[in-house]
Amino acid sequence: MNHSIARVAQLGVSLGLVLVLWSAASLAGWLNPDFVPAPGTILHAALEQYQEGVLMADLAISLKRSAVGFALGAVLGVVLGLLTARLRPVGYTLHPLLNILRPIPAIALAPLAIVWFGIGEPSKYFLITYTVFLAVWLNTDHGASQIAPTYIRASRSLGAGTWREFFEVVVPAAAPHIVSGLRLGAALAFLSLVAAELTGASSGIGYRIQESRQFFRTDRMFVGLIELGLLGGLLDFVFVQISRRLVHWEQS
Amino acid sequence: MNTATVSPPAPARGDVQGHDAEVRFRQRGRDIQALAPVSLALAPGSFTSVIGPSGCGKSTLLNAIAGFTPLSSGSLQVDGAIVSGPSPRVGVMFQQYALFPWFTAAGNVEFALKRFGLPRAERRTAALQALDEVGLSGKADHHPGQLSGGMRQRVALARTLAARPDVLLMDEPFGALDAQTRLAMQELLLRIWEARRTTVLFITHDIDEALLLSDRVLVMSAAPGRFIDDLAIDSPRPRSVEQIDATYIARRNHLLRLLRDAH
Repeated sequence: MNHSIARVAQLGVSLGLVLVLWSAASLAGWLNPDFVPAPGTILHAALEQYQEGVLMADLAISLKRSAVGFALGAVLGVVLGLLTARLRPVGYTLHPLLNILRPIPAIALAPLAIVWFGIGEPSKYFLITYTVFLAVWLNTDHGASQIAPTYIRASRSLGAGTWREFFEVVVPAAAPHIVSGLRLGAALAFLSLVAAELTGASSGIGYRIQESRQFFRTDRMFVGLIELGLLGGLLDFVFVQISRRLVHWEQS
Repeated sequence: MNTATVSPPAPARGDVQGHDAEVRFRQRGRDIQALAPVSLALAPGSFTSVIGPSGCGKSTLLNAIAGFTPLSSGSLQVDGAIVSGPSPRVGVMFQQYALFPWFTAAGNVEFALKRFGLPRAERRTAALQALDEVGLSGKADHHPGQLSGGMRQRVALARTLAARPDVLLMDEPFGALDAQTRLAMQELLLRIWEARRTTVLFITHDIDEALLLSDRVLVMSAAPGRFIDDLAIDSPRPRSVEQIDATYIARRNHLLRLLRDAH
């Protein structure tokens, strides 16, 4: 508990210092307001977006896209990762594919996603799912193929069958890697969300940043960037709290 | 086992027979002999220790009896059945890191009990009893990470015994413990073994440990390991760590000499 208070305090100090320096630099006229608006101007732009109703609408649609893509990608990644790690023929067939897919960034797939799925929601889901899936697959596969042989030996000599070995030994033994894969996946969901929204979207935080460029509204662009930063940071924080409880034995 | 039906008394279980059991494998194009052909017979209910220099093959022998390592030639049988893989009839207690850290102490024991298909509440009760037997009542809901090394090995012993093995294989189970904890564990093992009389094969580096616990001490030579002595320890039981007499010292010196020459 004291630990989390200390963390909040640290965050306050860090952000507070940046805000003070930024405001001071703006007031002193060191920053061109057309390129780097003052914090007050950005807050004003945020309020303006809030009153127009686009702030909350963008947040909602972006969160929904990330959540759907994350959920699909996470489920696919965990299932396939466990299969490729524990079933020899599946791993043999799919491991090379993993190594070829890995270097392809989501943004490079965006045009193809639009051709395949149109500019509606499915193309966004596809991009985010793909990115999350790869990260989760990779980590799950890694975790599930590196299980201490002693665990498997102990399980078998204690009379556990294949299914019990899988669900009570393999899955929990791989859980720390699965959880870090999910955490990475959650962060990547946001990155690919923006990639998806910068190309062929008409709503969402990424789209709003792109739209603001056309009107040269750097203040509104900063609103989008700050939204992404805060949202991603908050999500990661929540994720770490949950995973600490989920794989509690990793702490000790 | 159904005790209601009239049946002839079951023969003593835990009979281990090995004939020219050999383990070889290829590593980087080289043929490695991990276990030279050895023959051994462990009588049901006996306690046998194996001592020998590092790398002589004693752990390989244990892994082969456990069904973890296949034989290249020869045979191993437990109660007349050829060893073809791990089986709950052959329990193994490892040196360390074998408890499942995601389960509590009771959860680890319950993992072993699940093969009996007991109702949940009964299984839990049996697990608590097993932990009580090794002196860990009150630690049932602790995770291994919250327990000391000695306590973890107590849980490991309770878990291994909970599966009701006929043969218990122990690979330097107390090797990582400090001297005092080690003595406490040896006395605990003796007490439990004297009550259950499971056939035990115990691998150790520690001559005193072998002399305290065993009916028989088998001495292995350096690789390729062969049994170079088979020493019967007939000191009366129950034994305790305080019993040191002239016979004990003579045996100890004899084993020390053998081990020194084995290198």
